[in-house]
Amino acid sequence: MSTVVVLAPIIVANWPVITAVVGAAVGSLGFAVVRGEETSQQRGETTTREEIEIDNSEILTSDTGFEEEIVVQREGVRAIFSRDARGVLRVCMEGRGTSHAELRRWGQELIDRVTQQYAYHRIVTELKARNMTIVDEQVEEDHTVKIRVRSW
Amino acid sequence: MAKEELEIEISPSGKVTARTLGVKGPRCLELADLLARIVGREESRTLTHEYYETERQVTDQVDLYGHR
Repeated sequence: MSTVVVLAPIIVANWPVITAVVGAAVGSLGFAVVRGEETSQQRGETTTREEIEIDNSEILTSDTGFEEEIVVQREGVRAIFSRDARGVLRVCMEGRGTSHAELRRWGQELIDRVTQQYAYHRIVTELKARNMTIVDEQVEEDHTVKIRVRSW
Repeated sequence: MAKEELEIEISPSGKVTARTLGVKGPRCLELADLLARIVGREESRTLTHEYYETERQVTDQVDLYGHR
């Protein structure tokens, strides 16, 4: 044993990175990315909506032409990730026949998984760039990710 | 050169716990600082006995020079 450090991720990324991270993260919760569909609000349907702001996030502006919104869906529940005017990442949950509490819980699960995926992406990318080698990687049953990195 | 390892755990909510293995002295702090810069906000840091091993050797050397 020598040093143990505990860290809380801060999401600082441009939209293309967020799109990749959200796409990779939500599958494990049964959500899939949908494109080109109207939101239920645009279709005039009655749904429950819940908006959650992701603390510790800063989405950098980019002029790559990417639309700064990504929609994921699972059995009638939709989550719309977007960047607000202040640059904070938000998720708007929509569902028919669902309570606000359920939407908030599912939204928080999505945010947690996106945060985990972002932390994984950052750590692996940055350590590899410093010539460190991933020697072992495991995903536990509770979805905890364990990585062992070697530096010579 | 000695093998240095990092054991990193990312919880389902994204919290990161990293432990240095086989790393002695201030190099531990360098690796902890690097991870903090990569991930975000540091919540806690614990130094254990291995960190102090190299520092003890340095102190011994200083004592030797002191006798000259």
